[in-house]
Amino acid sequence: MLSDINSIKITEAMFSTEKFPVISSTTLIKETIESMTKFNIGVACIVEDSNLLGIFTDGDLRRLLLSHQKPFPAIFADDVSTYMTKAPCVIQKDASILDAITLINEKKIWDLPVLDSNKLVGLVNLHTLVTYINSQ
Amino acid sequence: MHSNTISVGYGKVNPVKIGNTEPLAFIGGPCAIESKEHAFKVASMIQEICKKHSIPWIYKSCFDKDCRSSPDSYHGLGLDGLDILKQIRDEFGCPVVSDFSNPAWAKPVGEVCDMVQVPAYLCRQTTILKGAAETGRPIHLKKGQFMSPWNMKNSVRKIEAYGNKQILLTDRGTFFGYNMLINDYRNFPIMMETKYPVCFDATHSVQLPTSMGNISGGQREFIPTLTRAAAGAGIHALFMEVHDDPDNAMSDANTQLDVKYLENILVQAKTMHEIRIDLFNKYGADNVK
Repeated sequence: MLSDINSIKITEAMFSTEKFPVISSTTLIKETIESMTKFNIGVACIVEDSNLLGIFTDGDLRRLLLSHQKPFPAIFADDVSTYMTKAPCVIQKDASILDAITLINEKKIWDLPVLDSNKLVGLVNLHTLVTYINSQ
Repeated sequence: MHSNTISVGYGKVNPVKIGNTEPLAFIGGPCAIESKEHAFKVASMIQEICKKHSIPWIYKSCFDKDCRSSPDSYHGLGLDGLDILKQIRDEFGCPVVSDFSNPAWAKPVGEVCDMVQVPAYLCRQTTILKGAAETGRPIHLKKGQFMSPWNMKNSVRKIEAYGNKQILLTDRGTFFGYNMLINDYRNFPIMMETKYPVCFDATHSVQLPTSMGNISGGQREFIPTLTRAAAGAGIHALFMEVHDDPDNAMSDANTQLDVKYLENILVQAKTMHEIRIDLFNKYGADNVK
């Protein structure tokens, strides 16, 4: 029920880690974009031993293209860690769906990695939340 | 930009450290091993100069020349040449390096040489890189004339995947149309993004590949200019093929440096290297965004 979004945990609505790109810091930008396209999602999470190092989003890609004059083959060959957002907004797995909606709204962002301490356990974004709410 | 430091030399030779703020290292010798007498003669001439100016050096010469333009060109002594390299390192106490073009030769080369070299034309061949990595020796990895500097990271990662993290990346010029090379000094900071030290191959950079029908030409007159520029750009090692009679050398006659010019060029390169380090110490390393 919609009235329960304050008590329902986001783990009910999140993507599990096999449903979005979870990659290493040495993944090339070209591979990162391919992975995001394959999952049809605008974010990739960069991890080491499941610990979240950062995220790379469609927005990061836009900013990268505008701020760097390198040729495309050179950008494609760079590691994703070069351009990832290193301290992204995140949410802990015990938070509620309302907490996630509030954070996404306040920060004007699309994606929120879900953590258990610093371990990546999932992802919520506008689509997952809308889909969940729509299903209720 | 900071680089890792690699150490070249096992056993009783004088190890040469390459990278970061270490003195500029020199890697040089005749293109091909022509004979024991000739190898020793040139080694002696180089040693005298390097000793006089306290320049750490590694003797380089090839036992097999597999990328000659013509089947009639000198192909080398084959694996027997490794014994001459062994005698050079025993006699002169310097590390030695040689390249190999057949993966089966990696092991015997690694058993003798302090450093193994991957030829530029083969710089992305997995079996060659694997063979080089598995010798456990530091690897002199030349950037192919056809390769972008950023794509050299793929070769570096192949070597790392096979367990070797002692790599020196070298620029030897980039194809500029046909039969012509050009030096792009952006290659040094770009290749240093791998965190490995970088080297400039001054004599192959002036090569005009196969410009003379069935042999390569070259413009040796540009070696000093390109070398000074490379030293200022931040290289950690300088590579030059040196011969006492280049016009009659059995390979790369048009690019090998006459040893009579070696002292002058090495002193200039060493001085430029020291000035560059002083400037970085005083004003900080390059950090323009």
